[in-house]
Amino acid sequence: MFLSGAICVAAVSLELATLLLLVSKGVWRSYRLFFVYATWLFLANSAILVTFLYLPADSHTINWASRVYPALYWNIDSIDVVLRFVVVWEVFHQIFPKSSGLNKSLSKGLAIVAFALLVVGCGTFLIYQNYTGPRSIHLALDRSFGVVQAFMILGTLVTARYYGVKCGRNVRGIALAFGGWVSISTATNAMADLASPFLAYWYYLRPLSFVVMIAVWIWALWVYEPNPPIMESEAIELDRWTQDWNRTISTARTIIRP
Amino acid sequence: MINLIFFTILGLALFGSFIFIALQGSPKSLPDSSAVQAVTEIIALEGSSFANARRLLDDTDYQALCSNPDLRRLAQRLRNDRKQLALTWISSLQNDLIRLWRFRRFLIQRGVPSSMSEELRTLQALSLSLVLLSFIRLSIRAAGPFALPRATRQAGQLVDSMSTGAALVLGRIPVAGWAEIERSWVKSAA
Repeated sequence: MFLSGAICVAAVSLELATLLLLVSKGVWRSYRLFFVYATWLFLANSAILVTFLYLPADSHTINWASRVYPALYWNIDSIDVVLRFVVVWEVFHQIFPKSSGLNKSLSKGLAIVAFALLVVGCGTFLIYQNYTGPRSIHLALDRSFGVVQAFMILGTLVTARYYGVKCGRNVRGIALAFGGWVSISTATNAMADLASPFLAYWYYLRPLSFVVMIAVWIWALWVYEPNPPIMESEAIELDRWTQDWNRTISTARTIIRP
Repeated sequence: MINLIFFTILGLALFGSFIFIALQGSPKSLPDSSAVQAVTEIIALEGSSFANARRLLDDTDYQALCSNPDLRRLAQRLRNDRKQLALTWISSLQNDLIRLWRFRRFLIQRGVPSSMSEELRTLQALSLSLVLLSFIRLSIRAAGPFALPRATRQAGQLVDSMSTGAALVLGRIPVAGWAEIERSWVKSAA
């Protein structure tokens, strides 16, 4: 109980620190969507903390007051699952700005991949039949979309690395901490549903990993270091290059033809 | 049950991937000193310098030497020399393909339009070609340079194509544009 309260207080304090950091340095103007999400986290977790302190869940008594905290916690968590896509969107657009050639080239393909991932996420959520209690539905929602968000962030980082796009400290820290947290949240959620003894650990592991994520965000935003702009050259049509490439590849293949 | 195990493993694997990326440090920008070297080398791909590749893998001399019992030792030496040269040539072809691929990445990073499917096709072609060339290397190591007579004939065409390809790639870029690209590479490497 004490540890849960301490984690809750730490999370809200760190969220407040993140907001102050964003506002005091004017960084929020560069990361507006992230700022919106950080504000949401602060308000939502403050509400959870107040409820936790004044209307705590009590398994021994069944009255309306004891039901407020779990209902609020899981409903906020479900809204949060959707709002997390804001961070994914922010990371993608910071790494591949709308005006960049890479965005123009890859956005369509990546949008299709993202849509496919969302369909898979919806599918894994809907086919999950083992909803034994209200908590399990929320856990299933959380992990189904958490894994999708983790893949989206990982895909964005891997694509950036492939093309040698340099990430600044801010976006890199936000993306890695967020990706790590949704991944570990997915795994622990599944483990909590898989083996009920793990539930006791899950109560601490998930919020603790969340606190670590916020701490990494603060570290990342401590110094304003946005992504360096992608140098653009004049549009060079690639058709002849493609012809040369295809010719070279086909010639290489003909070497082993009988 | 399977669903939950799947999510557990997937979640842990994803977490591991993020940790791996975090430990690797910030990704290096593509224009580094080795890339600068690649730009200058792409003007003259190494594979093109093997002008006598057709003769390199031609076994006529070897057969002629073998026909004389006194010259069999010399034939063996010729075979070994040709083997080493052929292996070097195949390596240079592999390097040429990689250089072309890197150059493509460089162009796209700088805003040249492309599509996801085109990128995937290029990657597929590159991987397949590298695997095929590795197979050729293995066969040369195992069975010698004259084991694939058909390949000997086609190899010449490959070199010609590589040479033409390099010239066309160079010709596609205006001289002013090439200088600008090279300057930015050097600048980024500094």
